[in-house]
Order: sequence, then C-alpha cells, then structure tokens
Amino acid sequence: MEVEISRRKFLQGSVALSILGGATLASNNLLASTKTDIKKEYTFKEVPTLCEMCVNKCAAFARVENGIVTKLDPNPHFPKSKNMLCPRGVAGVHALYDPDRLKYPLIRIGEKGEGKFKRATWDEAYEAILNGTDKFKGLKTILEEEEDNRSTIGYCSGEGMAEHTYKSFMADKFGSTNFVNHASICLQTTLSGYSLTIGGYGQADLENASYVIMAGANRAEAILTPDTMDLFKRTRGRGAKLIVLDPRFTNTAAQADEWLSIQPGTDLAFVLALTYVVLDEVLYNKEFVKTNMNSFEEYRKHILESNYTPEWAEKITGIRASMIRKVAREFMESAPRSIYYQGRRTAWSKHDFQLRRAQAIFSALGGGIDTKGGIIFGAKVPLGSHTINAPMYANSLSRIDTKEAAIVGLSGTWIGFRNMIVEDRTPYPIRGMFVYKQNPMLSVPNVAKTKKMLEKMDLVVTIDTMPSDTVMMSDVVLPECTYLEREDPVKSFGGTQPSIVLRNKVIDPMYETKPVMEIMKGLTEKISKPLFEITKKYDEDVQDEIEERGEEAVYFEDGFDLTDAFNKSQEEINEHLVVSVHGEKAYHSLKEKGVYYPEMEKYFKQISENEYEYYPEDKKYYTVKKGSTIKDMPIDSCISEKEIAALKKKFKTQSGKVECVLGFMKRKGLDSMPTWHDKYLVPTPKGKFKFVTGRHAQFTQNSTQNNVMLLDLMRENYLWINDKEAKEKGISFGDLVEVESSVGKIQIKAYPTIKIIPGVVFYVHGFGAESTGLTFGYRNGASDNMIIEDTIEPVFGSAVMHETIVDIRRV
Amino acid sequence: MNFAMALDYQNCINCKACEIACKEENGVQLGADKQRIWVGVTENSIFGRPILSLYPSQCNHCVDAPCVDVCPTNASHFADGGLVLVDQEKCILCKGCMEACPYDARFVDDKVAAVDKCTFCFDTRISQGKATTACQATCPTKVRLFGDLDDEEGELVQLLKSRKFFVLKENEGTVPKLFYLFPEHDDHFAQNSIGHETTIHTWETFKPLIDMAKAKRSKQWTSL
Repeated sequence: MEVEISRRKFLQGSVALSILGGATLASNNLLASTKTDIKKEYTFKEVPTLCEMCVNKCAAFARVENGIVTKLDPNPHFPKSKNMLCPRGVAGVHALYDPDRLKYPLIRIGEKGEGKFKRATWDEAYEAILNGTDKFKGLKTILEEEEDNRSTIGYCSGEGMAEHTYKSFMADKFGSTNFVNHASICLQTTLSGYSLTIGGYGQADLENASYVIMAGANRAEAILTPDTMDLFKRTRGRGAKLIVLDPRFTNTAAQADEWLSIQPGTDLAFVLALTYVVLDEVLYNKEFVKTNMNSFEEYRKHILESNYTPEWAEKITGIRASMIRKVAREFMESAPRSIYYQGRRTAWSKHDFQLRRAQAIFSALGGGIDTKGGIIFGAKVPLGSHTINAPMYANSLSRIDTKEAAIVGLSGTWIGFRNMIVEDRTPYPIRGMFVYKQNPMLSVPNVAKTKKMLEKMDLVVTIDTMPSDTVMMSDVVLPECTYLEREDPVKSFGGTQPSIVLRNKVIDPMYETKPVMEIMKGLTEKISKPLFEITKKYDEDVQDEIEERGEEAVYFEDGFDLTDAFNKSQEEINEHLVVSVHGEKAYHSLKEKGVYYPEMEKYFKQISENEYEYYPEDKKYYTVKKGSTIKDMPIDSCISEKEIAALKKKFKTQSGKVECVLGFMKRKGLDSMPTWHDKYLVPTPKGKFKFVTGRHAQFTQNSTQNNVMLLDLMRENYLWINDKEAKEKGISFGDLVEVESSVGKIQIKAYPTIKIIPGVVFYVHGFGAESTGLTFGYRNGASDNMIIEDTIEPVFGSAVMHETIVDIRRV
Repeated sequence: MNFAMALDYQNCINCKACEIACKEENGVQLGADKQRIWVGVTENSIFGRPILSLYPSQCNHCVDAPCVDVCPTNASHFADGGLVLVDQEKCILCKGCMEACPYDARFVDDKVAAVDKCTFCFDTRISQGKATTACQATCPTKVRLFGDLDDEEGELVQLLKSRKFFVLKENEGTVPKLFYLFPEHDDHFAQNSIGHETTIHTWETFKPLIDMAKAKRSKQWTSL
C-alpha cells in the first residue's frame, strides 16, 4: 500500500473516526473542525509529557490545539534528555492517531489466531475473562481445576512506566509467580554482569570521557539519552576518541576513529586480549587496583596463564594483534577518562555474561569507575512510598523455569519458560497468559514456538494499544490508551544530574480505551469475590484464618480484596509520592514543567540557543561511593585525576570492591572469572552466513511498525549482505531473497553493501508483522525472530541472538 | 534582518529527527520525495574501508536566488529577513523554480497544487516568538543554529566569526545561506567530505559576498 496521506487530512480523518467510535472528545473540539468556528473556539495549550516511543522517557511538550495534539516538541527542562526529541519521539502523534488502534474491548469468536473478534463492552470483556465463553475457558474454571494454584496463569510485560501497576495486580494481588519480562530478551546479562562486578550498571559519562570503546552498541542508531547527544558532539578530534567494534559499518562506526570489524560472538576474546596486554605490560592504575579490586592477583594469573594474547585473539576476532595492543595502551593512557561502554540490547553469544564482566573489570583496571569521564553511579532524588496489601496464597506454586539456567530471577527466562510449556516439561500446567505492552509473537526468538505456546493456552488476555500479532492470538483484548492519554507513575532518574519526571495526561483517552490502572480496577471489581470463593475452597491456611477471624476480616484485612490496590487514582498517588517528600512546589513544577529537582529554580538556565545548564559543574554527582573523600587528601593542585580515581570507594558488591572473581558462580558449576570457551563459538559453515540483528533510529522494536510517519523514512527492512558475496550469488539491490535457518524462513529484499563483513548478514528488528489489523505493518519486510534460533546462555537463560546460521538464496 | 543557518554537519548521525519535526510542524505532505529538509548521504570507500558523509540540508534562502527570477507569476519571491517564499495562491505549477534551484530544494505539494519548500519555520515558529526552527529544536546532536546575519552580536555571527565554513555549490553564484562548519579537528573527515574545488571561507571573506548580493536584491524584499 502506498503511504501518501497528508498529515492534515490524516488528522481530520482521525477526528471523524473518533466520532464514529463514540469518542470522548469534548463537543467544542468537534465543532472546531468546521472552518467558521475555528476563530471563536480556538484553544491552545502545551502539556509536559514523557515520550514512550521507546524506553528512554525523554521529556516533551505536547502542543494541543482545539483538543487535538498537533505537535510534540522537546522539553528542555529534563537533564537526561536535555532539549531534543528524536524521530520516533516526534512521530508519537501518529501512535496516538493511528487509525488501526484498538478502540474497544474484543472477545474472540473465531478460531485462535484467526483474527475474528466481536466488539464488547468493558463489562462483557471482564465477564469473559472470569467465566470464559463457548470458545475458551475463564479464570474461574481454570483456577477451580488447578485448585487455586494462581501460578497456572503466567504473565509478561514489556518495559514501561505502568509495568509496575500491572505487576501489582498479577504478582501482588492475583498471586502468580510466573512472570517473564523483557530482561531475558534484553539487557539481563549486561545489567547483571556490571552489577555483580562493579555494583551497578551505572551511566557512561560520555560528556567527559576521553576514550570510548563501543562494541556492538550503536548509539547513532539505537538512540539513548543522554549518551547519544553527549557523544556525537565530541567525536573525531573533538575530545572523545571512539573505537567501534561491529561486523557492520553503522552510523556509529562512521563517527569513530577506528572501526574494528569483529566477527560476531567473539567480543570476549577481544576484551581478554586487551586485559592481557594491560596486565602483561603493567599499564593499569596500581593504586586503584590495590585499594578497590578484590581477588586481582587471581584474575591476573588466570589471564596471563591462559595466554589470552593479542595473537590468540586475532585468530578468533579477525582484529589485528597490533591493533589490540594499540587500543589497550591508548585506553590506559586516557584512563580514568576511559570507558568500555556497557552496551544494552540482548545477549549475543553464550559468553555474554562473562563478556560484560570482562568489560567492567577492564574499565576498572584504568580506575574509570565512579569518577568523571568514567562509568558513574550518580545520585537519585528520593520519592515517597506507596504500599499494597498483598494476600498469601498457600496453593500458588513457585515459578516453573528456575532450573532452565543457573540464576533465574523474578523476571524469568522467556525462552526457557516458553519452551518448557511447548515441550510439556512444566511441573504443573500453565493454562493462561496475561500480556501487557509486549508482543512476544515478534519479540521472542523462534516465532513458531511462541505461537504454539499461545495456542496451548486456555486463556490469553492481552492489553495493548495496537492489534499486534499477539493480540491476534488472544481470547480477550483490552485496549489501553496511549501514553499521551494518561498520567503514569512519577519517576526518579538518577545520574550526575538527578531529577524527578512526570508523564502528564495530554488529552482524555480516545474511543473506549483506558489506562492500565483503570483496567486493573475494573477487572478486580469483577473477579475479586468469585476468585476468593475458589481460594476459600482449596486454601487451608485461609480456611483456618476464616474460622478464627471471620470471612470478612480475612477478605479485607489480608488483601484478598483485589480492588483495594486500585482505589486511588494515579493522580492522587503521584501527588502523595511527591508532596510527602518535596512539598507542593515540587508537584506544581512537575505539572507545569514535567520535571523537578532540588534547587531547580536556581540552577536551571539557558546558556545558548542550543544548550541548557541543569546543575553547576561543582554540584554534579560524579563521585559518590566515597570510602575516603577528596577532603581526606592533602589539598594540592598537583593531584592528578588518576590519584583521585584511586581513592578508596565502597561499591555495591559483596566485598565493596570490584569483584574479579565470583566464588558463588563456581559452586553453581560456572566460571567464576571471564573465560573463553571454544565450544561456545558457533562456526559458520562454508557458503552459509551468520545472522545478526539490531536497532534503527527510526524504529523501536516492533511497536513502531505501523507508524505512517516513520515508515515514510524507511518503508521496509532490507537484508544487508556483503557486496562481493552478493555478486557471487547474483544478488542485486532490491532482489527478493529467501533467508532460512533451522527454525524458519522469510523473504526480504537485498541490500548488497561494503558496510558489512563477508559471512555475516543483517536486517533490522521490528518488521514483518502477520497481523491483518495493521494496515501498514502487515507483511511489511521480515521479522528477525522468525529465523533466530531459541538458544539461551547458561547463566540467566537470556536469548542468544547472534549465533544463528542461515542460508541465502535468490527467489 | 537576514535569516541564515550554520550547520555543524560533523555532528549529524542521520537519525532524521529534523525531517520528521519539519513534516509535523509544517504539515508537509508525506512521501519520500516530499521533503522541505533532508539529510544528504554520500558513501565511498578507500582501500576497501567505507566512508560515510552526511549533509543535512534544506533551502539555502539564497541572497541572489535564481528561483525567484524564473517565476512568471511572482509566486516565488523574497520576503523580509531575506526569506525565499512561495505564494501558493499565485503558483501555477510551471516548475521553473524547481529547475532553477541548484539544491533541488523544491517539490510539488499535491495538497494545494503548488510548489513547497523550507520557510525557516517563519510562519509556524519564528513569527510566533520562537528563536529556533523545528529542525534545530528537535536535533539530538544540535547540528543547526538559526540566526540573523545582520546581528553582529548574535550567536550565529559570533559562531561564523570563530569558525571556518563553506557553502554548497558556491560557483552557482546564488550566495546561499546554509553555512557548513569546517571540521577543524579532523583533517581526514574534512578531506573526504569536502570537494576539492570548495572554497573554505571565513566571516571576512564571505560577508562582502552577502553585502553585495543583498544590495542588489533587498529592494525586492516584500513585507511579511
């Protein structure tokens, strides 16, 4: 389909649709769309909000004219996002006015996956969840049959400000233990690798770093604030030397001083060799190591005796030994203003957890932790608290996937969880799934298996804004309003310049959509009492309590009244969280400017057309983990940054120091130190390719695939293939090719280019939807998870996304 | 007033936030060929290593603009502030201006059946008291700086006095007003992103060209 709708026509179209859909727009807004009334009725306001087009949460002002959001502008008050709004952020208007939005609750009437639903009222939808229909079972039957094992209903969610509200229901009130979120298909290994090693993921201080190694991370295209803004004003001779490792010449690589085209899955060998050089040549910050690193000697011996030489790494990574030596030396020369950038995204290979540990330890060897220009932890502005009365269910069993990997936490292993269900390996049946703000049909590797899992379920309930592929596999669909139509929980952002931000409601929810808070309220009102009847029947603890204290007391006092968590509005809760700690003025600032931090009125100022100052330089929180402080040092202007970096710290690790060795890992039968295993490297057979995936500046995962404005910039995704190899195979630009792995195959157009190394192919994530509800997204381009194999790494069970071997052929 | 823009093109990461902000702000027609602003991309390679150069761009609002001269109906015209604008009511879609423009900065807006182009957001932002264009305001790496060449103390002139710069297709003689800041700290990038014949200017060398062209043309500036 051609995307040729003018924006103005498009907006008018949305108004018309909203009238048909029984919209909640005020009548004067509707009148305003006729020309004669524009002058008389014209209204204008600017509302501070927070973007939700990706996970960054950048501050924006929404321009509202005549009740219609006409533009999203950057809000300069937020130190994290400064004064910018990226392409996705600006295109947020089209998430709000997407004609394909879910407009009212839906109940499945066709076969599962067929996409046949009937429009329902909210009450009918809640009723169907409780009692089922002739097509599917409801919660009551399922819990009755499972004797009140609440964990029989699994639940998942993507990252978001209201994720917590949803979890309060599913975990705290409903009582299920089976939660899987984005962590195990996202940054679990990185987050944990850094946390267990240096006490936190931290923030790379790219505003002050002199030397940055960015491996796999692509900050020019996978935009992250403030990193993207800070770094690219300082590259190429302007303060920060940038080394990029990537099999692709990305826009980040284009900004780099060196592009090292590494073989996928071999990053650990590169870091180990860097470490070898630094230890062998004794280039590290000796004072920092002495005061702040635990079991350094053991690690040193391990690296040197394992012979992780640059020559060894050259054979594995494809990066010249001399280059590895050069990078190691330069890194330490610039230290402590040197960063091995943490990265985000997902696990790439089975080495991933120890790769992140090796990165963190390597950064620490230069002393660049908790210091200006290094990885900093910063401070946080406190918020008040809000409690929930959580009931105890004696029959709710513990989560199923704890044995799928060594350490499975509260957010689970998505692939492990799903595969257990598909392969009938669960200790008890998982019969239902609640899905919020996630689209596992496109976001979890091996789509065929996710489909099979959802098909097996008795009840799938999905809360979303768009008719995603997962919505199509659901029994009941609850339409959430978009981020511009709701107030979300207030949030505190730590860092060198900490602040609190609030996503204010810009306009009232359109159609019959609701914020998740109200959805939970409505659902609990429907299900609370009937489900308590089941608990009463099977839960002996509850039976004893009732005998002792009476049913009413137990129901209300022990939290079995599921509605009590959702009695207050989000607005009331936010006001309490802020005012109880910072007073009325702070809350007012959040309503007016969207941002608050102590002394904001004094500190915040515009210093040029493009720049703002949030905190004076001497008030920024660069160094916070003080064992001894700068004050304890003799006042001497000759003290070097290296010495300041080496002051005694107290990190949030077990020993309070940087942990080179993790003893408890050994007890679990895993490496206690970063160690290379040849068996973890998947070789690429001759004539085949390794598939890598990645992100794009104009698309966020698969949530933007129907955004008409973003599709205007890139209509579909393309397969990157090395130009020489493409020529050998007779593939030219735009040719349709078939890409096949052991788990699936797709067709996609080819983009032969010099910008990718031979033996590797790539296409960007977030395309290839199969949902017929998406006018622009339906079968547009290809989905990466159709072909990515469902391999997990051994530590957290995170998805290994860069080890799939594929065949390519011209169609 | 003589509106112009400096571009620190070395900052550009080709995220295209500017393109979307422009479309949203000004209601520009959708479609890849319907752009008031764009990021020009050139890809080369030296010894098998790729080189990527990005040139964020838009209408230059040339002081001596050829698009104005060819217009048979005075739809294309100069306005106060040295803006080059199109009067949609007068445009007959002869497309002469599109041919005359050396920068390919104009396109047909099918919504109103007239030629459309960048206005420096004069109607939507600058006349409403805002100091920045939509493209500048939204940019993550702050490539652009909009300002007034007649304001010697203003940020734009101060920047042009402190940095060397070049303009695109100077030999066309149109005296364009998008000033690309010379990447003074990176010779390799400068060599690869700037053509051999391009003149590198300072404020002293370029100011006289502006003054000369302005003297010739400013009589044609209509009030806004």
